[in-house]
Amino acid sequence: MDPMNAVIWLIATPLLSVPVVYLAGRLVARKAGDSSTINPARWVALAAMLVTGVFLFVAGQSVATTSNPIGMTVETITLRFDGISLVLAFSVWLLGTLVILFSGPYMKAEVGEEKFYSLLMAMIGTMIGLGTAVDLFNLWVWFEAMAISSYMLVAFYREEPASLEAGVKYLVQSAVGSVLILMGIVVVFMYTGTLNPDVFRMYLMPWPGLIGAGALFIIGFGVKTALVPLHTWLPDAHSQAPSGISAMLSGVVIETGLIAMLRSLGALSEVYNWGIILVIFAAVNMLVGNLMALRQKQVKRLLAYSSVAHMGYMLFGLGVALSFGQSNGAAGGFFHLFNHAMMKGLAFLGVGALLYALHLARGDHSPLMVEDLNGAARKYPWVVLTLSIGLLALGGLPPLAGFMSKWQILVAGAQTQNVWMIVLVVFMGLNSVLSLGYYAPLVNRMYRTQPSDIVMEGKPVSWLMTLPLILLAFGTVVLGFYPALLNWLTKPAALALFQTFGR
Amino acid sequence: MSMNVPSVFLIVVIGLLGVGLYALLTVRNLIKVVVALQILVKGAMLAFVLVGRLTGQVNLGQSLALTVIVADTIVAVVGLTLAVQVRRKFGSLDIKDLTTLKR
Repeated sequence: MDPMNAVIWLIATPLLSVPVVYLAGRLVARKAGDSSTINPARWVALAAMLVTGVFLFVAGQSVATTSNPIGMTVETITLRFDGISLVLAFSVWLLGTLVILFSGPYMKAEVGEEKFYSLLMAMIGTMIGLGTAVDLFNLWVWFEAMAISSYMLVAFYREEPASLEAGVKYLVQSAVGSVLILMGIVVVFMYTGTLNPDVFRMYLMPWPGLIGAGALFIIGFGVKTALVPLHTWLPDAHSQAPSGISAMLSGVVIETGLIAMLRSLGALSEVYNWGIILVIFAAVNMLVGNLMALRQKQVKRLLAYSSVAHMGYMLFGLGVALSFGQSNGAAGGFFHLFNHAMMKGLAFLGVGALLYALHLARGDHSPLMVEDLNGAARKYPWVVLTLSIGLLALGGLPPLAGFMSKWQILVAGAQTQNVWMIVLVVFMGLNSVLSLGYYAPLVNRMYRTQPSDIVMEGKPVSWLMTLPLILLAFGTVVLGFYPALLNWLTKPAALALFQTFGR
Repeated sequence: MSMNVPSVFLIVVIGLLGVGLYALLTVRNLIKVVVALQILVKGAMLAFVLVGRLTGQVNLGQSLALTVIVADTIVAVVGLTLAVQVRRKFGSLDIKDLTTLKR
């Protein structure tokens, strides 16, 4: 198959499956009328993901072997599938497929299951599409479409006050961010008369208006990326969404915001050294994320704050790459992006499995507290084992995947030979140790305490929920031992980052 | 004294953005928050039309504005849907009453 067609179908398949998933689920649910029949929506969604995987393979193989982006023009819209798009599409596809598998038993008791899967497919399709956008306005359209599907998924438990509150907060903050992005686009449009960065990038000068546009992009996309003063929606949305969606939000949605930000700043690369700004936000994100996570009592909120910290690690790698031309840092940043999708996906799904067994299966929507995990290993050995691997990998314990990508970022920072960067490398190392201060007690609690009453009364966890956990844990361990396995993914992405910034 | 069309547009754009931002910071009713967001986006939309005219690409500017209308209407619909549900569950539309997650 032609790689160009593969890219078009890679985006189109999930989007075209949205109505099919909904209708299949709706018609069967209406006809059956009771909860004993299995809703086919999830199987249709899974089939669509597998078809998408074939197209991803064809497109990805072309990009990974030649390192050349696949460019194409549909009507007047230019799409380009490069290394960054590949990292994003691969992470989204992998995590999306496993989340659909996991959500089968998790969402079984919920009303309107088919809506869940069709919105999820819409989110997956728009995220893959966002990676390929070249034009600034086109980028905004994908971004907004992704945001809309995620608003509805965050507030999916529409009878729960807490979910509604999280949804409202998320919607208002993101919508303001998206207006700021629009204003940034207006400013660029005014200066250049076009929206295609390939046309205008090279002749831009550091005009103050364009620096303002860049600042608007950073703030606007920064809301979705959870840059620190703009992160307040994140713990609420991540903790209140259904666990599969928490995994998607934390694993790929905030990273999609990051990639959108990189693309928009790449258009303005001649205007200012944006890498330094990213490094500053990186330091703040690491510290605030870790400190806030330390004092959380709810497990999902804890993991949500840890996403803020991990966003800081990614920003550091990418910022170093942009301001010092270290392609190592870019590769490390994208490696960490992919690893974070796996590790945080694993952690949220593992916690979700326990939340389901201990609370949701009994119709109780209260949050999973840290104390509820006491002695969970006795009753749920596989879930707890995989969850512990995920948590320790997030904390950066060797030889797990999280250590390898953090290490690569640290090396890139040290290689700059810049005093400030080396100070930040030490700071990041200390932060990583600090983060063990909340991951390790969770593992300790699950293995080394007497089971609490709530664990003893817990419901069983289905194998369909355990399977994605085992696969993700396996990936985390294998990448820890053989990090070079992902070079095909991270090298083209690093190259594409420099191309995005016109270097 | 006569003003040319672009400067009138510019004043309206700035006015809409200012009113929207001010309203967003001050109003507490959830429906009014959605309206404030709408006012902000209308400002951005008008700015697209204005810049399209200034750069001599009237069609492009207007088509961008139309796309913004489509995307933004959906955001408004979702926002109002949440508002209806908030009114049902909290018995109030005041955003100060949304405190289940505050800590």
